[in-house]
Amino acid sequence: MDFLQAIDTLTIKFTLAAVLLPLLAFAVNIFFPAKGSKVSGWMSTAAILFSCALSVFVFAKVWDTNHLVHQKVLWFTIGDTKVYAGVLLNNLSVLMLLLVNLIALPVHIYSLAYMRGDAGYSRYFAYLSLFCFSMLALVVVDNLVLFYMSWELVGFSSYLLIGFWFTRHKAVQANKKAFIMNRIGDIGLLAAILLLFSAYHTFDIDSLFGRNTPAALNPAAQLPVIWQYAAFAGVFLAVAAKSAQFPLHTWLPDAMEGPTSVSALIHAATMVAAGVFLLGRVYPMFNDAELTFLAVAGCFTAFMAATIALTQNDLKRILAYSTISQLGYMVMAMGVGAYSSSLFHLVTHAFFKCLLFLVAGIVIHQMAHIRDDNKLDIDPQNIQNMGGLRKKMPLTFITALVGGLALTGLPLTSGYLSKDGILIQAFEWSEHKSRALMLVPVFAVIATWLTAFYVIRLIVKVFFGKFRLAEQYSALYLHISDGGWLYKAPLVFLAICSLFPLFSFNPVGYEQSWLYTGMSYPGKTAEAGFIHFIVPVCVNIFSLLVIYGAYTIYGKRKLSPFSQNSALWQLSFNEWYIDAFYKKYVVKPVIVLGRSTFWFDRRAIDGFIHALGKLAIAASKTAAWIDKFIIDGFLHTIADAVHAIGNFARRFQGGKVQYYLYSMLVVILAVFIFLLFKY
Amino acid sequence: MNILSLLIFIPVLFALVIAVLPSAWRHSFKFIALGATLVQLGLAVWIYCNFKTGAAFAGVNHEEQFQFIQKLPWINLDLGTLGKMQIDYFVGIDGLSIALLVMSSAVLVVAALASWEIKSNLKGFFVLFLILDMAVIGVFCALDFFLFYIFYELMLLPLYFLIGMWGGARREYAAIKFFLYTLFGSVFMLLVMIGLYLSVTDPATGRHTFNMIQMMNPANYQPGSVFAVVSQQSILGFSARSVGFIVLFIAFAIKVPLVPLHTWLPDAHVEAPTPVSIILAGVLLKVGGYGIIRIAVGIFPEIAHTGAYWLGLLGVISIIYGALNALSQHDLKRMIAYSSVSHMGFVLLGIASMTTEGLSGAVMQMVSHGFLSTMLFFLAGVVYNRVHDRGITHFRGLTTIMPKYAAFVIVAFFASLGLPGFSAFIGEAFSLTGAFKSASVNGNLPHWMAICGSVGILLSAAYFLWTLQRMFFGSLNLKGGSVWKSALTDLNFREKLTLMPLAFIALILGIMPSLVFDKINESVITFINFLQVK
Repeated sequence: MDFLQAIDTLTIKFTLAAVLLPLLAFAVNIFFPAKGSKVSGWMSTAAILFSCALSVFVFAKVWDTNHLVHQKVLWFTIGDTKVYAGVLLNNLSVLMLLLVNLIALPVHIYSLAYMRGDAGYSRYFAYLSLFCFSMLALVVVDNLVLFYMSWELVGFSSYLLIGFWFTRHKAVQANKKAFIMNRIGDIGLLAAILLLFSAYHTFDIDSLFGRNTPAALNPAAQLPVIWQYAAFAGVFLAVAAKSAQFPLHTWLPDAMEGPTSVSALIHAATMVAAGVFLLGRVYPMFNDAELTFLAVAGCFTAFMAATIALTQNDLKRILAYSTISQLGYMVMAMGVGAYSSSLFHLVTHAFFKCLLFLVAGIVIHQMAHIRDDNKLDIDPQNIQNMGGLRKKMPLTFITALVGGLALTGLPLTSGYLSKDGILIQAFEWSEHKSRALMLVPVFAVIATWLTAFYVIRLIVKVFFGKFRLAEQYSALYLHISDGGWLYKAPLVFLAICSLFPLFSFNPVGYEQSWLYTGMSYPGKTAEAGFIHFIVPVCVNIFSLLVIYGAYTIYGKRKLSPFSQNSALWQLSFNEWYIDAFYKKYVVKPVIVLGRSTFWFDRRAIDGFIHALGKLAIAASKTAAWIDKFIIDGFLHTIADAVHAIGNFARRFQGGKVQYYLYSMLVVILAVFIFLLFKY
Repeated sequence: MNILSLLIFIPVLFALVIAVLPSAWRHSFKFIALGATLVQLGLAVWIYCNFKTGAAFAGVNHEEQFQFIQKLPWINLDLGTLGKMQIDYFVGIDGLSIALLVMSSAVLVVAALASWEIKSNLKGFFVLFLILDMAVIGVFCALDFFLFYIFYELMLLPLYFLIGMWGGARREYAAIKFFLYTLFGSVFMLLVMIGLYLSVTDPATGRHTFNMIQMMNPANYQPGSVFAVVSQQSILGFSARSVGFIVLFIAFAIKVPLVPLHTWLPDAHVEAPTPVSIILAGVLLKVGGYGIIRIAVGIFPEIAHTGAYWLGLLGVISIIYGALNALSQHDLKRMIAYSSVSHMGFVLLGIASMTTEGLSGAVMQMVSHGFLSTMLFFLAGVVYNRVHDRGITHFRGLTTIMPKYAAFVIVAFFASLGLPGFSAFIGEAFSLTGAFKSASVNGNLPHWMAICGSVGILLSAAYFLWTLQRMFFGSLNLKGGSVWKSALTDLNFREKLTLMPLAFIALILGIMPSLVFDKINESVITFINFLQVK
């Protein structure tokens, strides 16, 4: 027993080292920036390399051992509540630990070349390390307080990286939007955590959502109904914000203002998957209705984003919407009970989407070179300017093709294994549900075909045909290539990881994949049947047709089936007007509300205070007037009267005897007359 | 010599030194003032380290459990038939005051460092500054209501002159507004204080007393007196104890400040010089929160319990209303001032929850806000001192020319908006935890209040990030053109020296909140238990 404990402690130590190494790199890079040298880049890369090696070890130790590694120490006591800090390693966390490192490593290497010569080279790697730290911490922590902390730190480092080029107006608009929209999710998560805490008095993930307790008896399922739903709403908001699900998805396309390597790591492979990871962590708390809601929401997002991706012209924006769409699949998969397929898709998607973004980075880089060399005024991300690049950059083209086919989900790729699993289970799920819910798998399948279409449109427009710029500008100075090994190695590595052998020896059977079985959720039994055969066959055959169709439209430029004036085209091109709606009906009202509260402050509250002040002054003036004219007036009247009487009486004292005698006579006479009349 | 008394009166000694020195030595005054605050900080740190924790040192309503006590008879008058008057010089601290005391001492050092910007009438400024220093420390230590009141009023006077003489363009308006607002509260507080004095007798001596700890014990109230717990008296048809609570609450709510009693704050902040803004936001607002906990709720616990819903509601209104106002500001300092209103709302929400988490969160939020608002106002002062302008829209892309300054602003803004890892997160999160928990523990606050409170966290992100985007990011564009550009130099050594520890403290308290919680836990638990007995 002690021996096992010691092994666990070692595993935990390795995990901690893997998590903290990037933090160390961040601290060194931020406090001792190496100006003009490449030390910082290599430092961050070395940190992630070591943490990658450590996570491989941890993965090997924990994966499929059915042994929960969980250790914690007292962090602080607040009142009588003890809050712990600890590490919780199960299949899910070690898988994510390894995945994040495996994606981060090629991105770091790629960034060494991609960010070369940028003024903020050190700063870039510092931020990147900070992100890796928070993401790694997110996947291994054992309680909800720490989870929330890393959750928000991930958002913060994403904020820093989106706005990395802070002099660009669009970039700083985008990072503000990303952070604020993520904050909506954060308060949802916070509210959910606190609701759970107030009911169960613990933040510990294992005791709240432990696999050992059957789902029905899980404490988290015992909340009063309304607060159970409130907690779910909070979690959903968090997922929608982080994983860019409708209605909080609009920050992700804008987030493409950051460096492309960042988009590859953060906004395609890892951070945006955190929402799905969260669903995986708290899965036992959901009841049937909530799962159905997740399925519908995810399916809607998958479909909506796929329709938008059809008409976009910005290379990165297409990929961003594709990411949203794929994340929608994962959320939907969680909802239909395809727990392991959802996480499986998370992993495969991370590889091929990261690959596609790195490819986009190279293409954009080369286009920017052409723009700078020839002093053109073009947008290097616009796919309308590209074409025929496959001859100039063959390796980039091949890897892009692999990534694109994996994204489409054709057989032999990893995407096939994970996505078809989701589709099959979605159909199975809908069999036991009402008719209307049949739409969920149907729309998911339609979205798959849309995916095939936009992927081929993208690849054809970038790599096939003739170079459009060369058609517009003759005598164009072209000097483009795949780039050095720092570019090539990550591409090749990720392309290999996007094929089936890494995940399963059987290229068509997702159930044989080690990842699928490793993540399987207790109580879920696979149903063998007709659906398992018919769904993949139909989906893929039709996908091939779509691919051929798209190739004819864009490759051979034979057909142009879409009118750009049609309402549907406009809807797609304008991204369903969701952003415009938010601007008009959310952002503006809040600002107006802020102005009106300030007006209220100035006019009503201060107005009242000023009125009080004026009242006091008026009262004091009245008092002064009363003082002056009434109180003093009375006194003055008395004084004046005394004065007048005195003046009058003074005249009697003239000093002449005749007057005295005369007045005596008058007085006596007066008294005599008075008495006479009285009696 | 008792260390608390030393802590309180050290600034006065230094003030005397400044007062007798000739004006020709005026350049040394700032160093003397800084020295005073540093000595004070040293003492405060010593007190913090030697502060004993454990159930035997919880304090709150047990006089013998307070620490560093000094109790001297001060005014003892024989009033003949009216009995004997007993006013003590009585200082001591427990878990409710220790954190605020240490925080205040640290903030005062920063305020002294910020006073470098003062150029005129230095002697007057620093003497008033040090008197103010004495008063705010005294408020946190006083355990005799009369003594508390004296310190409380003594804060007003120097502040009035500090704003009115060294302030901005509308300084007289701001100073008089501040003065009258606060005086309005404290005048009525005086009446309640006298009422309490006449109701409470010290069981040991049988005399009426101003001892706050005795006032917390219902057995000490004379039957039939105004505020007697058992026999309910009434004032104008209202229960006397309710009136007493409301009056005390309003007095402190003005200080906090709570909407709608807050409009003195933005004006005072905008007009006040940086060091005074720092003391106002960093320390003075906490006097309000501290007073609500120790005095208003402590002396009238049963009223606080029935009125908790309304307290929580006021807290939530302050959070949202302050944040919305901050969103519409064009003056950097005014924006920060309104953000203070919003952040202090969490304190009230935590107190109103009457749970251990909520109260600890409230104290933590006060400590955290003390450091962070200090940092924010100091940062606002940096740009104002250079170009005498604070308009948010007058600057753009400051990061390009002042990268270090921008880095500190980013740290301060994100710490203030509750980024985990910084202290404000712990404060806000646990205030909200208390608010959420309250519904199931004592039913004080409904869940929706807690949820509305968390919306404040969202809004704070909005106004801070918007400011950041408008002032610091984008391409460089200044209203004052090249004159400003050359005037806007990056942080100097003194400024970095000031900001670095503040950022560090905010970070360390966010990562190791036990630094605060370990000291206050016992008192908080005792206080909550004391509230529940009623």
